[in-house]
Amino acid sequence: MSVLTVNLKHLYQRRGLWLFYVILVLFALAGIAVLFEDAKAGQGRFIGLIVLAFVVGLLLPVLQIEVLSKPFSYCLPGHKRMVRKFVFCVGIVFNIFGSLLFFVYPDLNAGQLLLVVCSAFFAGLISYLLGAGLVFTARNSVAFIGFLPLIIVAGGFFDLHTVLERVIIENPLVVISVGILTGCVVWFWLGDEGRARRYCNNVPWVGFDWNPARMKKIIRIRMAGKWDKLNKYPSPRMERFFLGRMNRCDYVSAGRYIWGALYAAAVVPVLQWKSILSIVILMSFFLGYMGPAATFIFFFMPIIVVMNMRLPVHSSMMISGGRKERFAGTITAVAIAAVPISAVAVAMVALSMLFRAIVPEFTLREVTFTYRAISAGNLFIPLLIIPFAFAIRLIFYRKPIYVISLLMFVIYLMVFTGIVWHEQFSDMINLISIIALMILGWGSFLLVLRYVCMRRSLAGDG
Amino acid sequence: MNNEEPIIQMRKVCKRFGKIRALDEVDLEIYQGRIVGLLGANGAGKSTLLRHIIGLYLEDEGECVTFGCEAQNLGPAELVRIGYVHQEGELLDWMTVRQLVRYVSTYYPNWNRELEEKYVEDFGISTKVRVGSLSPGQRQRLAILLAIGFEPELLILDEPAAALDPVARAQFLDLLLQIIQTENRTIIISSHILSDVEKVIDHAVIMKEGRILLDTGFDELRERFSQVRISALSKELPDELPFENVVHCKRSDGQAILTVQDCPREKLQEQAKSLDCWVEIETLSLEEIYKIVVSS
Repeated sequence: MSVLTVNLKHLYQRRGLWLFYVILVLFALAGIAVLFEDAKAGQGRFIGLIVLAFVVGLLLPVLQIEVLSKPFSYCLPGHKRMVRKFVFCVGIVFNIFGSLLFFVYPDLNAGQLLLVVCSAFFAGLISYLLGAGLVFTARNSVAFIGFLPLIIVAGGFFDLHTVLERVIIENPLVVISVGILTGCVVWFWLGDEGRARRYCNNVPWVGFDWNPARMKKIIRIRMAGKWDKLNKYPSPRMERFFLGRMNRCDYVSAGRYIWGALYAAAVVPVLQWKSILSIVILMSFFLGYMGPAATFIFFFMPIIVVMNMRLPVHSSMMISGGRKERFAGTITAVAIAAVPISAVAVAMVALSMLFRAIVPEFTLREVTFTYRAISAGNLFIPLLIIPFAFAIRLIFYRKPIYVISLLMFVIYLMVFTGIVWHEQFSDMINLISIIALMILGWGSFLLVLRYVCMRRSLAGDG
Repeated sequence: MNNEEPIIQMRKVCKRFGKIRALDEVDLEIYQGRIVGLLGANGAGKSTLLRHIIGLYLEDEGECVTFGCEAQNLGPAELVRIGYVHQEGELLDWMTVRQLVRYVSTYYPNWNRELEEKYVEDFGISTKVRVGSLSPGQRQRLAILLAIGFEPELLILDEPAAALDPVARAQFLDLLLQIIQTENRTIIISSHILSDVEKVIDHAVIMKEGRILLDTGFDELRERFSQVRISALSKELPDELPFENVVHCKRSDGQAILTVQDCPREKLQEQAKSLDCWVEIETLSLEEIYKIVVSS
């Protein structure tokens, strides 16, 4: 088995990537369906390939950084130049399949089609190599995926997709030449042996690494130098307050652990109140222009908090609390999460009402943007999502990828159901049904937490 | 046999993780005042066993009792008597070292401030820095400090020296020797660095694939295994050497090195007299004993 084959096997051996493959296939199928249904020329519908190539370029070459970081791979003969072979192998294969789609491009003869397919291949390769280039230059390239929706929306708004499609169709020789040139430059650039030295023994964050212990280690290493720069310490008054409250409770009472959990969970958000407030103001401003799509943020905000929160139930920091005390501490921590999330949601709705009075309507490229206040009906969403998300996290705490996949699936299902059966459901959504759902959600969470605390193993790494 | 009640009792404890049998019918009794070395390869079940003792893991079968209480029901009353250090333990990174020590100490009624100050000085830990900024070695020292600051009756150390450099390891060993001098303190130490462990333990438990292969006093263990070096004085060594229970034999150029099990030193000396050879009998190091036990 060749060294390249061994490296390519990582593409399926890394299970965290499977979720990405599912999403990729779904997007690709949706794009292909649109093309086969109505393949119109000049509307930029074929540019999905370029976008997907960029995403693949941002994600898959990261695997090589992980390989390079292993000291043994530095010493393997011929391995230092494996990066470019891997990167090009993946890029070429992906873009060969992607460019075949251009065979359905309308109004072209056989010769033109062949040229356009070659042009599309190289356009895809350029896009892919741009993503791969970011992987090896930026500190955390995977984070760029977060900006992708913004780029797509902005690109659509300025008709970049039609421009790009026109360039591929009308100037194939130019695209092919630029593609070959880019390929050569990147080939030599990736062959730099110094790269292996730079990454050797570093601990990279590869973006789809869902091993909780490894993620903790990586976060700890990454944060090591940053804590002191934050320059935010809990004030002595704050410390005295919490420790004082703890000391008022008996050593064997749950009160000491509840105050302790409150201290451990509440101080960091309190210290970062200015950053949180800035984000809330900015979000309220932009969400008002997004219309009903603003609802999404009320689904995702709790999930981001839930995924990143430290829960006393699985804490490996040994204090004198037993299983019952972990139960009490975890309820406290979850309540601490629910209160500020709800407060942030209320603040966003209130601010959007305020902004509605002062933010003007504007028109850009014949589209009128009107600021609308965020519906107060969204406020119940975090309170429904939080217990559900925590329950899922408790059940699959060793498998964060299951938690994310399941939560995303449920959210998309809820949003999809809301869109398709909006009229049927709108009659059912009232205060009583919402309160009933909340009681059900929080009750289920408490049952799951109780079960986990009393009947499951509580240490992280088996 | 010890007449006292053991502080830890494990009876037929089994634990599975999927298809892996992490603990397989483990029977173990640990008495107060013992310094127990828990030895075994990676994946032998050492950490799993220790986590059962403090109730973090629940047994699938069997029973685990610590301080007279079922491990899964351990509460603050029992846990304030137990200190636990393990590799890469979680700490609150946003606190300063001083704040974390204060925070943890609030959970323990018998926290010893003088001892805390002494260890802070001995370990060279700066109390003003953020916990998140500490190196792995410093974090481990802090974790050790947090586990011993309240002078626990039972101290459980799961690979405590793994992240420490040689100097810090030596300091840690000195510290352990100091702690041991406190009467009736029980320590369970799991480590790969057997040369360190053998300096402090008085009892050894050797594990392999979730089973306890050997559970005995360290002195008894050392007496059970001997190494006999034989050098021919005038002629060649006989083809058959008159020793019993030989577990390993290496011969070369008129010399032989035998490893002998369960044969008292006096008997070995008597058997050696029949040979016209120079014979030297030595005790084995823990590492050598461990290799023999595990390979047999």
